[in-house]
Amino acid sequence: MIEKLLNLDRRYIFIFVFLGVGIPLLLDFSFPIKPEKHAQAIYDQIERVGDKKGTVLLSFSYGPSTVPELQPMALSLLRHCFRRDINVVAICMWPDAPGLAQQALEEIAAEFDKQEGIDYAFMGYKPGFQNVILNMGQDFHSTFPQDAWGASSDTLAATRNIHSLKDFDFIFDLAAGSSIDQMWIPFGQEKYKFPLGAGCTAVIAPDLYPYIQSGQIVGLLGGLSGAAQYEAIIGKPGEATKGMRPQSVTHLIMIAFILLGNTMYFLSRRSVQTAANSQ
Amino acid sequence: MNRDSYFFLAFILLFAAINIGLLVSGSLQADWTGFGIIVAAGFTLALYSFLYKDNPLFKFAEHVFVGVAAAYVFGQVWYPTIYGEILGPMTGVGDFDAWLLVPTLLGLLMLTRFSPKFGWLSRISFAFVVGVGAGLSIPRTIASQILAQLEPTMRPLSMDMDGLNLFLILVGVVAVLVYFFFSVEHKGAVGHVSRLGIWFLMISFGASFGFTIMGRLSLFIGRMQFLMGDWLPLIE
Repeated sequence: MIEKLLNLDRRYIFIFVFLGVGIPLLLDFSFPIKPEKHAQAIYDQIERVGDKKGTVLLSFSYGPSTVPELQPMALSLLRHCFRRDINVVAICMWPDAPGLAQQALEEIAAEFDKQEGIDYAFMGYKPGFQNVILNMGQDFHSTFPQDAWGASSDTLAATRNIHSLKDFDFIFDLAAGSSIDQMWIPFGQEKYKFPLGAGCTAVIAPDLYPYIQSGQIVGLLGGLSGAAQYEAIIGKPGEATKGMRPQSVTHLIMIAFILLGNTMYFLSRRSVQTAANSQ
Repeated sequence: MNRDSYFFLAFILLFAAINIGLLVSGSLQADWTGFGIIVAAGFTLALYSFLYKDNPLFKFAEHVFVGVAAAYVFGQVWYPTIYGEILGPMTGVGDFDAWLLVPTLLGLLMLTRFSPKFGWLSRISFAFVVGVGAGLSIPRTIASQILAQLEPTMRPLSMDMDGLNLFLILVGVVAVLVYFFFSVEHKGAVGHVSRLGIWFLMISFGASFGFTIMGRLSLFIGRMQFLMGDWLPLIE
């Protein structure tokens, strides 16, 4: 029995995870979502920008593979910015981000009746990452001479007064990779000293906590949980909040399997020792 | 045909039957959006079929993804950058900045790698990339990853929770540095501190692993929300 459980076919675990996700999605129940101080710090920063009707730069550094974690964050941040009449400038640092950024901008802009070019600008994708950041620090208009549709950034109301990264009141990077710690912090925040916020997948969130401690980022939204926390703060539950039900249930399943595996491992060791002692 | 072949044939037939049912019932619209949802659902299921075992459906989906992704990235780089900023202005569409010829030439020189005769020219471009890359990265990395991280580690301690956090960070940094210091034998006091460093590392790996599980499950939840919400009308 112990041996059988120790060598359990992994496909049984997949079935449990499948049921752990599928059943909670069908049922209507909820777990409390308590925002952490790092998520609250992002909210507070955007509120401060809203008080002076400033401009936020939203950098989309992710692709379709991480949509479940990062797209709800993008929607919530845009919702918060547009609710406070903050100008938003969106750029894409990943080549597969423009479709997702455009979708998010159009959806939330329609919700708040915001106009492209006036209330927000979508600059599209630019290759080069750290070079793009350095270039934006020196001259935003030479880095993005046109928006995604060919309109000159010198003439767009949302970008004509932006000359450098320093002119943004807040910059937020939505990252599926190491763009925050390897690109935005060394080549942007440290050089040009602007407030930087980070939203990332859960996988890279632990690597970013030291940058909160050092003050290099003002706050952090980590994974689906971070997205759900932001939805809770702005009072608009969405896909991330719905996803937290199966997330919590599957976490319990994983903990149960870890406990079961360890228990079986120690029991098997004990039975081997008992057999050795009896000989 | 073996058992798996029948299984996958049944899977394809079932998928087709479900989609016909969804289209007939009106749950899916017979337009490009509906077609896109069917394709996305099919490819999602084909990729997850790898959990059972490797199979032709998975391979097909994988290869289509690689091809589509490569073409999409090419399009994103070609139109706004290569055509939009270089070729277009050179042929009279928009303002042309002659300085752009320098990086364009350096980029073209990289392609000489494919020629045994002219491959040496690519070294000019690589020398430029390595030189500029190192010059930009080294001071920025030292400033942001080392100096800026040292400062909060050495802040004055206080008698509150923040002070406790600072103390733990200080002890953790010192203990882990001692663990990676191999010039002294890890015995006695050094051995104890080194062992403490291992504990800090293990806790850090555990936290990373926990976050990784959370991340991977989130992605699966996203796909399930799509399958059960956008494709099958099971959830709102």
